[in-house]
Amino acid sequence: MHRLFLVPTLLINALIILIPACLTVVLAFYSWDGMSSPRFVGFGNFVRLWNDRIFWRAFENNLIWLLIFLTIPIAMGLLAATMLLVAQRGRTFFQVIYFLPVVIATAITARVWQGMIFSPATGVFGYLQDLGVPVINPLTKPSMALYGVATVDLWHWWGFLCVIFFAALRQVPQEQIEAAKIEGATFFQMMRHVLLPGIRPTIILMMIMTVIWSFLVFDFVYILTQGGPAFSSEVLSTMAYRNAFYDLNVGQAAAISLIISLLGLVATFFYIRVQSREGDQ
Amino acid sequence: MKRRSMIRGTTSALMLSMVAPMAMAQDAAPITWWYEQANPEAQGYLQTILMDPFNAANPGQNLTIDYRGNELDKQLRVAMLSGEGPDIVYTPGPAYVASMAQAGQLLALDDYAASLGWKDSLLPVFLAMGTYDGKLYALPKTYETLGMFYNKTMFAEHGWTPPTTIAELEALADTMLAEGIIPMAAGNADWRGANEHYVSLVLNSIAGPDNVAAALRGEIPWTSEPFVKAIDTLNSWWQKGYFGPDYFSLTGEQSFALVATGEAGMAPTGTWRFESINPYFPDAGTEPGFVGFPSGEGVPYPIYALGVGSTFSIAATSKNPDGAAAVIDYVFSPEFYSAMNTVWQGEWNMPLRDLSGVTLGEGVLPLYSEAMANLAAAVNENQYGYTTWTFLPPATNTYLISGIEEVWLGSITTQDYLAALDAQFQQELAEGKVPAVPASN
Repeated sequence: MHRLFLVPTLLINALIILIPACLTVVLAFYSWDGMSSPRFVGFGNFVRLWNDRIFWRAFENNLIWLLIFLTIPIAMGLLAATMLLVAQRGRTFFQVIYFLPVVIATAITARVWQGMIFSPATGVFGYLQDLGVPVINPLTKPSMALYGVATVDLWHWWGFLCVIFFAALRQVPQEQIEAAKIEGATFFQMMRHVLLPGIRPTIILMMIMTVIWSFLVFDFVYILTQGGPAFSSEVLSTMAYRNAFYDLNVGQAAAISLIISLLGLVATFFYIRVQSREGDQ
Repeated sequence: MKRRSMIRGTTSALMLSMVAPMAMAQDAAPITWWYEQANPEAQGYLQTILMDPFNAANPGQNLTIDYRGNELDKQLRVAMLSGEGPDIVYTPGPAYVASMAQAGQLLALDDYAASLGWKDSLLPVFLAMGTYDGKLYALPKTYETLGMFYNKTMFAEHGWTPPTTIAELEALADTMLAEGIIPMAAGNADWRGANEHYVSLVLNSIAGPDNVAAALRGEIPWTSEPFVKAIDTLNSWWQKGYFGPDYFSLTGEQSFALVATGEAGMAPTGTWRFESINPYFPDAGTEPGFVGFPSGEGVPYPIYALGVGSTFSIAATSKNPDGAAAVIDYVFSPEFYSAMNTVWQGEWNMPLRDLSGVTLGEGVLPLYSEAMANLAAAVNENQYGYTTWTFLPPATNTYLISGIEEVWLGSITTQDYLAALDAQFQQELAEGKVPAVPASN
């Protein structure tokens, strides 16, 4: 009888996730403009992607994005979280400050950076240029565009990690910290041998989620550069969007989405393995 | 009459008076129209100039407009697929019409065109554009063209005249560069599609409209020599800095403002930019000018590349096609043209063959009226070109926009760009996705 309680959630899951997901998998093997009847093309969409240099550039950009987000925000979050743990005064204030960018809508954050910071006409960069400081809007240079977008996303994102890590650090048994202090451990020894091992599961979880999220990145790239200039900040999701809604090539967009999902699935596999190992311990 | 029954009687009368119009509105046949984004002022114009007078003049009909934002085309596509779209299908251009007509989602308008006299009242070239497989499926809501705005005050001070040939344009641009003036104000920070304005200009004014028409019909490839020359020229302008240092940072409007202030001399862009004249030029104390874009060797001057910003069709599943046709017909009346263009210029340039019945209000810029009259006359004489956003199929057009950035930024050559463009075009041509191309000039 108690299994009946699963029915509503299973129903919602099937309607909203399972059926569209299955349709996407099927569409990846069809040529479809979103209006007329789909035409079966086998692996045609995947072959085209394999030979498409823009697909490989987008894939490479996703990997660069992954490396950036696996290192910089996690390091910043850990550093700030430990500082919050050590500093007693102003702790709540700084938590709020660090977390604030997370709650601002993505579109607003992106437009503020684009118009009020990076823009040479209306932004801080323009003011600096007037003062003779040679700053360049990173979103306009192919070699810098992806990093410019990543900077905005980092600003928006790292506070979230900081708060998560801080919450985890506060769960580290107080006796272990006291014992380390009595033993005369320095701050870095405390970090290395007590705090970081204490929050290891949280760090690993966040890293795995970062892998999944990195292949899903879309909003900041789309709003700030739309993948340009000259495809320099194109990622797989913006490429899929362009294919589906501008090129009217829904089949190819489905193929790209399937590849994104497979990459996420690999990360999910590792996540489940880590979880089950933690459970065994 | 007792006090209580008096109150009851008054209340009933009040309720009746409130319910009666509602019942009338409910009885009237609904006509639905999904519109793109429109600010509150524009929504007010649509209410007072279109909806209210139309509904008053047609008691059996009830037109409602639903504002869907700038993602209208995507919403429309999904809705049409499920047969749930509006009666009036408002697409972003003929390329979308071809796909929808191919999928059987639109009603053929030939009978309405005959009974409502559209074949006589509209410029024939636009009827040809809305044709698919020999049947009429769409009419343009507005047509536009590309040309060149310039700072008339600055030109007068320097003794410059607007260039009519590419050689004159380049000589003038070099002079401007030497004086620290940006020759061509341009920016794509808000609309990446702005890239194609410049590609459309060089394809039509350097390669020539005959070559563009031949390529659109698949008679010559896009890799042909005239197109190579056109893209090479555009690239040379980029490399020389004609578009200024902040092309990717500035919005279209910000860049246009530079012409008013004299930081830039010219702005090659579309007629929709007329709406940006009043916010900038009077404040800067300068006067604007508008001319056709200069032509290359062997191409007549001026060539106005025709663009259709959006189109009207009727959904095949519409329960009130007659009502939808009546709305479209109302929009094509000289009275509506006059009223709408008096308050909202650049967005409602319906392709009326005869503008003699049109009277614009006093506040309308003479420059705008003059430009529109010149354009209508040129089209009537079959002297026009083809904008890429109107005549290219979807995937070819998106590549044209993104790929030109690769040429400008040195990632690929002109030949690579045109080869990729041609490959994409030939595929879509074979799939029947290329919109109708009007007869040669």
